[in-house]
Amino acid sequence: MKQTLLGALGIALFLALWEVVGRTQILGISWPPLSDVLAELTDERRRPLFLRALGATLESTALGYLWGTGAGLILATVAHLLPALRRGSDRLAAVLNSVPSIALGPIFLVLLTRESTPAAVSSIHVFFIVFVSVSSGLQRATPAHRDLFAVLGADRIKRFGRLELPAALPSLVSGLRLAWPAALIGAIIGEWFGAPRGIGILIINAMQNFQIVLLWCAVLLAVGASLFFYGLLTLLERAAYARFG
Amino acid sequence: MRPLLVRLVEDYWGILLLLFAWQAWVVVNSFNPIVMPTPTAVLGDLVSHPGVYLGNVGITLSIAVFGLVAGMLVGTGLAVAAWFSPIASGLLNPLTVLFSSVPVVALIPVIARLLGYDTSTVLAIVVIITFFPSFVFASSGLRQPPPGAEDLFRVLGASRLDLLRRLALPAAMPNLAIAFKLAAAHAILAAMVAEFLMGTTGLGYLFAKTKSDFQTEQAFGASLVATVISASAFLAAGWVEKKVRERYS
Repeated sequence: MKQTLLGALGIALFLALWEVVGRTQILGISWPPLSDVLAELTDERRRPLFLRALGATLESTALGYLWGTGAGLILATVAHLLPALRRGSDRLAAVLNSVPSIALGPIFLVLLTRESTPAAVSSIHVFFIVFVSVSSGLQRATPAHRDLFAVLGADRIKRFGRLELPAALPSLVSGLRLAWPAALIGAIIGEWFGAPRGIGILIINAMQNFQIVLLWCAVLLAVGASLFFYGLLTLLERAAYARFG
Repeated sequence: MRPLLVRLVEDYWGILLLLFAWQAWVVVNSFNPIVMPTPTAVLGDLVSHPGVYLGNVGITLSIAVFGLVAGMLVGTGLAVAAWFSPIASGLLNPLTVLFSSVPVVALIPVIARLLGYDTSTVLAIVVIITFFPSFVFASSGLRQPPPGAEDLFRVLGASRLDLLRRLALPAAMPNLAIAFKLAAAHAILAAMVAEFLMGTTGLGYLFAKTKSDFQTEQAFGASLVATVISASAFLAAGWVEKKVRERYS
């Protein structure tokens, strides 16, 4: 209870500080007061612009999230069932994760279309996090459990489906939670390479035209989209740990 | 000991497959090198113009390393401060959880507007990006000493400082190693995105400039170098994490 109050106080102090810094212009005109940003964000005339950008980015992020999760799950499962492939797939995942996102943009632009590049860049970010969390989760079943399954005559597939996969669920859900902000970053960077609309486009345009308040609005939209789903996934994670942890 | 060739295939089949697919894809579609060069052409450019890359690699790498160290020091330092004061940690914790789930890349333009478009801003961005994981992981590590150990220290009359030095900090080491692993690979990539957006110096700048000059081979060369550095940093940090875990837990 005391912790919650202190936490709320901390956030309130931060928001108040933001407003004061903006009003007094200590950091110059690049730091607008929170109230100005909120006024712009809720402005009727801006609403269609914001909704279009947010919609496009969320759509790319969701697509990339699905693709990345699927690919991560598949590679982690294959590497788990065929141990000979494990070392190579670890390295492949590490290297894919190390390719700069700004280089992925031009590659996907050639491989796919302008519209699907954000989702593709986003899926690479998600893939790595899901792959790592599922790989480590699949190894969580204890030797005692494995012995029990062996004694009861379970084959490799049964052991995987009934023991190792459920044991990996909490780890997968943690990965899914961490992957959401990463997916959003991927979509925003992907949009810089010629996507027709999105928050990434809004950020770049506002930055280049010195529309400071609009830039902050776009950043707040990205932050809001990140936090909202991150919060939802945190709840899902708690449920998964309660059931399978 | 496995034979070298078997080891090579076992460890690198994925990467070899990827490079092969890239080469085949470009050759089959006969792309113009301006649109998409082959990996062999990119490698060729790397070998024939090492000077162009070396200078920029030096800049980006030193920013990444310096930013990584500074960010981890600040993060751990604040976590220790919060460990001493329950009020400070109560105030800071939800804020840092909020911030660590914020897409930091979206903040780069704002930070650039605030601090100006130069190299020190790139450094600030790397520091901020590495700060959050180290603060979050260090805080939770400091609070997870082995059960009962804290009581033992109290009974033996240890001061708060002893408790920190001999119990909490060692207990936090494995967590700090995880934060290091997460941040090490990202530091150089974050530096590159910031350089790309602001057009200052370094690998990100080299990428942006050569890309717009249609020197696509060099742009991909810059990315390839960044990939190799970042992947090596990740694998090396993973090794460090394993050693730390063996030593401290």
